[in-house]
Amino acid sequence: MPRVTVQVRDAAGNTATAGVDYSLRQPVLGGYYLSGGADPTADMAGGNFRSLTQYRSFADGYVFPGYNRPWLINLGKAGVQINMVLELKHYGAGDAGPQTFTVDGVSYTVPAPSMTIQQRPGTTWPKAYGYTQVLNGQCDGLFARALSQYRTFGFGVNIQLASELDTDHEFGTTEAGKAYTWAESDARAVQAMTYIVTWFKARTLPAGTTFSVGLGGFDRACFQRTHPESLMSRLDYLQWNAYATAVGQTALARFRRTKDWAVADLGPVALSRPVIIAEYGVRSAEIPDQAAWIATVPAAIAQLNAERGPRIARTNYFNSGWGTLSPKSAGLAALRTAYATRPYV
Amino acid sequence: MAAPTATAALNASVFAPGDQMLLTVTYSDADTKPLTVTIVVTDAQGNSSAPVKVTAVIDPLTVTVSDNSGRTWSRVSDNGSVAVYRAVA
Repeated sequence: MPRVTVQVRDAAGNTATAGVDYSLRQPVLGGYYLSGGADPTADMAGGNFRSLTQYRSFADGYVFPGYNRPWLINLGKAGVQINMVLELKHYGAGDAGPQTFTVDGVSYTVPAPSMTIQQRPGTTWPKAYGYTQVLNGQCDGLFARALSQYRTFGFGVNIQLASELDTDHEFGTTEAGKAYTWAESDARAVQAMTYIVTWFKARTLPAGTTFSVGLGGFDRACFQRTHPESLMSRLDYLQWNAYATAVGQTALARFRRTKDWAVADLGPVALSRPVIIAEYGVRSAEIPDQAAWIATVPAAIAQLNAERGPRIARTNYFNSGWGTLSPKSAGLAALRTAYATRPYV
Repeated sequence: MAAPTATAALNASVFAPGDQMLLTVTYSDADTKPLTVTIVVTDAQGNSSAPVKVTAVIDPLTVTVSDNSGRTWSRVSDNGSVAVYRAVA
């Protein structure tokens, strides 16, 4: 901790000394995500991009760095802080059946995923490894495979377990023929997330490894249910996403919403954790001038960080889906300018 | 001679990069006394000059500021008992 020391001396050499400690807040890390998990290196070049979100399914045989993604290692070695979202969700991976594979000489067989999530009426429900499957140890091979690959990285990442438990559970879940309500699904997820983070922490991890759980952050009750102190004591960050998808939605209001719920509802351990905004964005359909909205982000983050409650440490713009930058060049230029502004510098 | 006393206070305990940091040093010494000498020259005829005043301090104090992180502090003001220094976080 830095310390400033004052010495007062009289003519005879008698002295009095006083000192005071202070600390410096690190800049907020400005970050990015490029649609499809594509190589963002060119988009980030020349800008103060210091953080990146990536998504992988545990079902994928290539979690770290991902299939044909050597650039992820290059970015990590260059100091970009990586938020690695590791999903029990199956989609994005090819084969939805059981898998048998060998990790470091040990053979594992993992059953087919037995849970459905995001059970929106009239849609095909995505599959995911079930929370009971996790608790029964049936997914340990998936974790072992990911960990073995991660150990080759040479640097630490934040492992974000799940991307959006609220969206996944909103319409309930079903595992092995049994239906669970939203609240029941949240409680089961907390058990499964606790199992997974405990599994990883019981093994040797690269230095700097941290953990968080994934929420969109749009439902107050779900946010509270999924952040009990017992789980938060095992995690290093809070995390949520922030999008503007309607006229008049300001950056400050969108980043503030979940933070205010956290401050009101969560316990002291949770509130001691800084925040990763794994995704944020502004939808051009309703707010065509994306650059103008992005320009308000630094002041919004600075204001929130000056208030009581957990500090927002990283914000990763999601150039995909709702956040798709159109035109891309103007959006990227706005991000570059924003990330060259306090509190990002 | 009496030993001096000193206290130091910052305007915050946590600073964001680029913030102005203000350090207030309050100091004193029982021996430190301001002194004013007034001189009047008078000749044999009793004509006196206008008085001339000079000031001095007995046992003046010097204040030194150091920072273990290498930050440079510059003096903004000093009235002999309170000095303010400034740095950039």
